[in-house]
Amino acid sequence: MTSRSEPATQSLAVKLLGGLALAAVGALTGFGLVNIIDVEKGAPWADSLALAMAVALLSIAVLSAVTLFLRPSAIPKGCGILQVFVFLLAGLMFLAPIYGPAWFGPDLVFGGIVITLVIQSIANLMLWRAADEMLRQVMAETSAIAFWALQTALFLYAAAERLGLVSTISGWGLTGILMAVYLVASIVASARRGIH
Amino acid sequence: MNNRLKVLRAERNWSQADLAAALGVSRQTVNALETGRYDPSLPLAFRIARVFDQPIESIFSDEGASA
Repeated sequence: MTSRSEPATQSLAVKLLGGLALAAVGALTGFGLVNIIDVEKGAPWADSLALAMAVALLSIAVLSAVTLFLRPSAIPKGCGILQVFVFLLAGLMFLAPIYGPAWFGPDLVFGGIVITLVIQSIANLMLWRAADEMLRQVMAETSAIAFWALQTALFLYAAAERLGLVSTISGWGLTGILMAVYLVASIVASARRGIH
Repeated sequence: MNNRLKVLRAERNWSQADLAAALGVSRQTVNALETGRYDPSLPLAFRIARVFDQPIESIFSDEGASA
């Protein structure tokens, strides 16, 4: 039988490296979240939420890279790099509208976001094609859970807004909420299949 | 759906990663199949049967499984 499995027992050095990488991810995530709470104290809540999503997405990208390195067989063949790439680009796209204008004009930032979105969409399509059937099932369930939750919440919010009971939320704020719900839906769908 | 994947794999002394490689899926998928968290598609069930050289009905059964 051919096998692409990793050694049954990882060497101590690899385990230590993995542990250090995870500790670094934890430290970076904590640092990022503290920055959001502290440094961005005066920022609109939509920007704070977008930053939190960016930190979460970038952390998932690093964790995916660590998993790919330590346990390659845990991820369907050909999906590992694509997963890292997709989460990395998603994180950057949440950062760009906030920090991009400090260096470039809004037109240039938006052009960059459009190009990044096209590249990320292609990578997502490649990920779907490379995935095995259970990963596809998890992706489909994530989309279904997120759609159900979001369309329910959107209807209730829209009705309340029409009645003048709540203030208007910006598109940027709604996007942050959408990503937060999507990440929670992804965790739920993955946990149901025993994926951690 | 119940299955005998774990027993069949153990009889051959294969790791989950070995079986995953033979089936062209991830180790997580094999783990989900063995723990009953995921029921395979018909094409994957046929691949599993071929890998173990046994008929599908000797590997999978719906006894005690909810509809």
